[in-house]
Amino acid sequence: MSDDSVPLALPLPRLAAGSAEVTALYRELRKPLLRYVVCLGLTADEAQDVVQDAFLSLQRHLASGGDQENIRGWVFRVAHNLARNRQTSYHRRFGETLDGGRDFPAEDATPEQVMLESEKLRRFAAAIQLLTKSERECLLLRAGGLRYREIGEVLGIAISTVGETVERAMKKLAEKCNV
Amino acid sequence: MCDVKAKLVAWLDRELTPEEASTVEHHVEECRECRHWVATYERVSQTFDAYCDAMLATKAPCRARWVPVLAGALIAATAVCLAFLRTRVVHPAVVEPPAAIASAPVLEPPVVEPILHKPMIRRYHPAQQIREIATQEQPMDAAIQIAIPAEAMFPPGAVPNGINFIADLRIAPDGSVKQVRLRQ
Repeated sequence: MSDDSVPLALPLPRLAAGSAEVTALYRELRKPLLRYVVCLGLTADEAQDVVQDAFLSLQRHLASGGDQENIRGWVFRVAHNLARNRQTSYHRRFGETLDGGRDFPAEDATPEQVMLESEKLRRFAAAIQLLTKSERECLLLRAGGLRYREIGEVLGIAISTVGETVERAMKKLAEKCNV
Repeated sequence: MCDVKAKLVAWLDRELTPEEASTVEHHVEECRECRHWVATYERVSQTFDAYCDAMLATKAPCRARWVPVLAGALIAATAVCLAFLRTRVVHPAVVEPPAAIASAPVLEPPVVEPILHKPMIRRYHPAQQIREIATQEQPMDAAIQIAIPAEAMFPPGAVPNGINFIADLRIAPDGSVKQVRLRQ
């Protein structure tokens, strides 16, 4: 998991719209959310809009006294749906931008390391293209720090299905690209 | 093939119940193949994170990547404009009376026309100013004077005592002696 992954099963206090907890939640989830929607295929500007809209929805949700159980999953679900709406409106195919021809710049690395890392990520990107939409979404949400239960809520599938999908996707990636 | 293998990712993600996790943990300690798969899954997870970060880094600074280019272009354009303005100001500023008029035979009383040009402000670049001052102050030829006692040049008694000669040496810019003049 990444360093910026969300602490799992963190007990959240009762949130109020505009409270410091919501601000802290925004700081905590902004990057994982951006990463998630960018990997779904949105541009940087669209991703920024989606994340802002998701948190505006959270404010409205909290202001109207909405349910606060699994608030991280809720924010991810809203962002996921907003991203999908945008993809539909732009007639994009999901995951179209997860291309294999992109250069991945790396900092503080020698040219050889940059080349090797770029090649590795390019192979990995090509392997990700072979995953199903569900497998890709599960892995992206898992990389965003969500538990299987939260992933299931975002995607509307059972926890056991999430486990199987993640396991299958990981096995495919391990076999396709020799990392 | 181990039955536990299907639970390895869930075990790594801490999604198993304590009993299941304990079973898998004991199995992994003993099973070499499962240890291999655990290590592989960890590497896949890390690579997936790196891939997501790379995607974000590649897409996010779309506008930021143009900032240095635009800034460089702006600086270059400003430098060109400044250089152009400087040359435009400096060149017409030197207004000298034509030498032909001064030396020509005067048939009529010379009328000194007042210079109608507005005095233009010369904008000096500091380096240019220093260069001009150096050019004005440095003579074309350097003159060196050497005092030579007469008894050093003539045999004793040929010239009265106490007479010295002065040798003026003019040095060309390339360092060679251009002219030597001896005087008393």
